[in-house]
Amino acid sequence: MIELQSVTKDFAGVRAVNDVSLTVEQGTVAAVVGTSGSGKSTLLRMVNRLIEPTSGRILIDGADTAGVPAPDLRRRIGYVIQDHGLFPHWSAARNIATVPVLLRWPRAQVRTRVRELMEMLQLDPDVIGPRLPHELSGGQAQRVGVARALAVRPELLLMDEPFGALDPVIRAQAQADLARVQKRLGTTVILVTHDMAEAIRLGDRIAVMRAGRVEQFAAPADIIARPATPFVADLLGEGDRAFRYLSLRPAADLARPEGPGAGPAAGDADAPPLSPGTTMAEALSEMIWTGRDHVRVARADGTGGTVSRDDLIRAGRPE
Amino acid sequence: MRAAWPVRLVLWALVAIFVLWPGLFAPLLRPLAPPGMPVVYDRASLSGLTAWHLGLVAAAIVPSALMAIGLAILVTRPAGADFLPLARALGGFGQTFPPVAVLALAVPVVGFGAWPTLIALFLYGLLPILENALAGLTGVPPSVMLAADGMGMTPRQRLVRVELPLAAPLIVEGVRISAVIAISTAAIGSTVAAPGLGEVIIAGLNANNMAFVVQGGLLTAALALIVHDALGLAGGLVGPRGARARTAAA
Repeated sequence: MIELQSVTKDFAGVRAVNDVSLTVEQGTVAAVVGTSGSGKSTLLRMVNRLIEPTSGRILIDGADTAGVPAPDLRRRIGYVIQDHGLFPHWSAARNIATVPVLLRWPRAQVRTRVRELMEMLQLDPDVIGPRLPHELSGGQAQRVGVARALAVRPELLLMDEPFGALDPVIRAQAQADLARVQKRLGTTVILVTHDMAEAIRLGDRIAVMRAGRVEQFAAPADIIARPATPFVADLLGEGDRAFRYLSLRPAADLARPEGPGAGPAAGDADAPPLSPGTTMAEALSEMIWTGRDHVRVARADGTGGTVSRDDLIRAGRPE
Repeated sequence: MRAAWPVRLVLWALVAIFVLWPGLFAPLLRPLAPPGMPVVYDRASLSGLTAWHLGLVAAAIVPSALMAIGLAILVTRPAGADFLPLARALGGFGQTFPPVAVLALAVPVVGFGAWPTLIALFLYGLLPILENALAGLTGVPPSVMLAADGMGMTPRQRLVRVELPLAAPLIVEGVRISAVIAISTAAIGSTVAAPGLGEVIIAGLNANNMAFVVQGGLLTAALALIVHDALGLAGGLVGPRGARARTAAA
């Protein structure tokens, strides 16, 4: 559990972060969203003490981070930055081994761990491992950066606009990979982004920052349903609200069992069902595009169901 | 680079043979010497003079490089950051100062012999190395510095593992420039009685013996080429390509 208690940072008289208090529960993803200059990166860097707070405390599992030498603290905390910051003179494998080597792990153990991480992130250790960073594609470099951050199984991972330098297609893939890896490892993540859609997609809780203050810290559904300030509403974009809200839940939640009489018109039953992970927003979009008023959705347990347009539209309006 | 190896080996062999057995080249040089004059410099052995020449350069450039790199490291640390502009200005000023002038200024202070040359080479060698080391150390991308800190490297680990290796190709390039300038300047150093190949050239000029001038001049030029080339090879080894070779070997 990460607790920020009244954290404030002044740079030469300018208050970059102003009295921020947040608690991030173990194993959850907290997304910090804000425009540039909102203090979100400064806030993140205070957690691993790349920047020392002017006042306030940061506790990790109850222990004040100020009580640990900064390099020791940082080796325990994963850190991913925007343009990956890989060491250009080291191979991908050596980059991933950075922290284990700093901690003087035995050589064989380092090598095993590097292979394990590369496989987890779908990087071929024999092909990608010996390559230098300038020989990697943007997506590969980003994954090497994530592998490097996860090398010593940190309980906390800090990510500063980790997908900012990727093109949209690779970004979506990288976001999905992060979600998968995070679930698997149970790592606590604090993710800084300027992209509200990314925050909604990845965050269990979202902190919206403006001018050094947190305007709202809540679950995505609450942020969309009840934006606390006009700024939060602006950031959400009023026009997309309903779709954003629908993008939070899988369409399968609204599915009614299929059966004789209960099912849709015969023609629709032939269409392949949507995959279990399909969100309500995607299901509605599918209906609009194909002109149908029902779609079939597969469930994770293998059964199928039918979702009606009316149910979806009703679900798009918060109670 | 690979194609250069035969040329390189031939050059090394020619210089070695010339220095060790200059008599073999006497027939080639004879047309340049006035009748009745010696063809090959005989007041000292060419091998001894070559050794002196290179020794002077090394004795000046090694401390020069250590000091310049040390200074560059110092002014790129947070504690020394205030002196960075000063070091930069010094570097710029030094570049505009001809080495002959340093030589001329050193003689009145330390007298004739090897010392003024050593001082001139040392001082003039500082500046290209300092300038290049500064460029190398300040040229490390901010994201790389941030990553090094963020991974938990101490300032010293960051310097040794990240900053110096990344700056190394530029630093070697600076040493290369300094060493080549020093080889030619050391020849001029013989005007103030520094032992070295300049002695042969000056003796030739005094006696109007072109054979001496040519052998001294060609040898000095060949040394400059060899050192320039060898340090170029060293620069390749510390660069990113060398890094991969090292990774593959590990």
